Amino acid sequence: MSEQNNGVLPRGVTQQEFNAAVEKFRALLGNENVLVEQQQLVPYNKIMMSVENAAHAPSAAVTATTVEQVQGVVKICNEHRIPIWTISTGRNFGYGSAAPGQRGQVILDLKKMNKIIKVDPEMCYALVEPGVTYGQLYDYIQENNLPVMLSFSAPSAIAGPVGNTMDRGVGYTPYGEHFMMQCGMEVVLANGDVYRTGMGGVKGSNTWQIFKWGYGPTLDGMFTQSNYGICTKMGFWLMPKPPVFKPFEIIFENEEDIVEIVEVLRPLRIRGIIPNSAVIANILWEAGSGNVRRSDYITEPGHTPDEIQKQIQKDTGMGAWNLYAALYGTQEQVDVNWKIIVDEFKKLGKGRIVTQEEAGDKQPFKYRAELMSGVPNLQEFGLYNWRGGGGSMWFAPVSEARGSECRKQAALAKRVLHKHGLDYVAEFIVAPRDMHHVIDVLYDRTNEEETQRADACFAELLDEFEKEGYAVYRVNTRFQERVAQSYGKAKRDLEHAIKRAVDPNNILAPGRSGIDLDTYKS
Amino acid sequence: MSMDRRFVLKGMALGSLAGLTLGGALPALGAAHGSPRSSAARPALVLVNQGAEQSAFVQGARATGAAVQVRQIGGDLTDLLSLQSQLGSGRKMRLIGLLDDASAALVVDMARSAGARVEWLGQHTARGGVTRHRLLNTASAEGCARQLGRQLHGCGAGFELTEERLGSAAPARQLSAAPRNQRHADQWAAGIGYLLGSLGAGRPTAAPLIAQAGAPLDGSFVSFSIET
Repeated sequence: MSEQNNGVLPRGVTQQEFNAAVEKFRALLGNENVLVEQQQLVPYNKIMMSVENAAHAPSAAVTATTVEQVQGVVKICNEHRIPIWTISTGRNFGYGSAAPGQRGQVILDLKKMNKIIKVDPEMCYALVEPGVTYGQLYDYIQENNLPVMLSFSAPSAIAGPVGNTMDRGVGYTPYGEHFMMQCGMEVVLANGDVYRTGMGGVKGSNTWQIFKWGYGPTLDGMFTQSNYGICTKMGFWLMPKPPVFKPFEIIFENEEDIVEIVEVLRPLRIRGIIPNSAVIANILWEAGSGNVRRSDYITEPGHTPDEIQKQIQKDTGMGAWNLYAALYGTQEQVDVNWKIIVDEFKKLGKGRIVTQEEAGDKQPFKYRAELMSGVPNLQEFGLYNWRGGGGSMWFAPVSEARGSECRKQAALAKRVLHKHGLDYVAEFIVAPRDMHHVIDVLYDRTNEEETQRADACFAELLDEFEKEGYAVYRVNTRFQERVAQSYGKAKRDLEHAIKRAVDPNNILAPGRSGIDLDTYKS
Repeated sequence: MSMDRRFVLKGMALGSLAGLTLGGALPALGAAHGSPRSSAARPALVLVNQGAEQSAFVQGARATGAAVQVRQIGGDLTDLLSLQSQLGSGRKMRLIGLLDDASAALVVDMARSAGARVEWLGQHTARGGVTRHRLLNTASAEGCARQLGRQLHGCGAGFELTEERLGSAAPARQLSAAPRNQRHADQWAAGIGYLLGSLGAGRPTAAPLIAQAGAPLDGSFVSFSIET
């Protein structure tokens, strides 16, 4: 049996103590579920952030297959003060991937807890374990010919609903705000208790996935983006598959058009005329996900000049901004809403409307239409080839859905990125009132100097946005402590008070969202 | 441990190391065809992007004499899901590859999900005749980075190479050299193909020189060696 000899230990844990815990993990989970060899841990250490891999190297990874085993893992961790970093599918690319937040943390990989417990096509919900992928669910729905559809983020097929929802990720359908569609979760607490939210604590209840709130305090949100428990089951609502689905794109030629796009779009979203999480992607996002590479146009280092971006627009027919949205419903409903949308954008006098019939199989239209209709694909991974080099960190500030605000954020981000020789590769994901302004900070990790620039750039983006009253809604593990500071002392004090109450040994993902009893000083 | 400390082995020192093994010209690949350099090299499935079935990397892998089967990977979901299902089938397999960033991100992560072992993970950029390499390795790839450094130096191409060993307390190793000529611009890819093809078959040795076909490789790539 191999010993853990890779030189990485959890913070403050001796080799002897660690080995004792590993032996207990083996007794509980079986040897094959306790990974300590370097070759087994390398794939958990592939990161895209602007630090050395060593900063996020795991000491071990363990896989559990039952709730009882998760409880057992937590017990061992308490006995030996071992910090664990839980992942479900580990596909949080650009936010930390599968690597632990801190060097030495043991990864608790729930990929083998992958049962689809229930899909109810009448009440339109699913209850799943953390290792279930969207691809698995999609296949299940197709094989059983169920009249429901999924909403997922771009890594779709290989990512999963539990991980995405627990990190408050978003998708592109009318059910795109995933946490809003979550209904009922089961959580293993640090003391080993199994807690069910909402109606889940009521014996014999059949409304756990039906009614979110239950009785008394509603705690679901407390377990998202946090380290207060380990989610072992989650329910979420599924959208009925509509008889008619009509995706469309509106292409805008100029960067400044963002103001008018948003001003026309917001009322359409708030009134529900456009029901889905629409997207406004800029030219470089569009190009990257459409298989264009920066090196096709320019090989000089630094940001891609505006004239090159214009040339890409000219060559590809892509816009400076590209709005994607869709209509869902009966033919009559779709026809009515389509007329309203066309009239509104005609009034604007800008924007070229492209329908599915016109676009055919052309990318990126095809993959956008698939994402908006719950069909998985991996097309957006093309962004990683735009600049290449394996560096990617999502900078995702929240914006008001107001044209002037979007323009202000876009200009600010572009200025900071260009100052550091990097590109503004962005999309706005459009909710009725807010925008998730998602920017992929892409850089070359083989270039030490560029990696340092990307690191400084990300820090400056956070600083500059904070000065304007903006903050991100989610961040990679490199910058989680910094982002927690943006949200203020009172929030952090309360979060740590809760942490002391529910996880006094600080074993669950210390450092997650800046919550760490060992390092936080009020 | 300071993550920022570096052990730097630069040009001159590397030159002397390279001189030990390379001396003069690299052996030509032609001589290696049909006469395996390392009979212990194990069979492997070689993953490359579309159109790269005769690439320098594949030539390097073939030069080990091992039985190699080449599979071209496109961005298509079906390709990748089929690979995922193979990785998860429980059958023993060995994969080596040189892919674009997007495809490699998926392949390596699928390997993790399948519980596969990854002995070598390399990020590479080739631009204007200069290459940069960032490796994340394990003890089973011991000596490979140094051998690759010697090889790159021998070829005359400028390069920078950083190697992190998972979990090692030692700081990352860095090697670099300025370019001297562009004659063997793609030799880096052949060298990696050869190293990965012969991984686990004894002490790493220099790859034979490949025939340069067409324009040199340019862009960003990821190399890997995966075993289930």
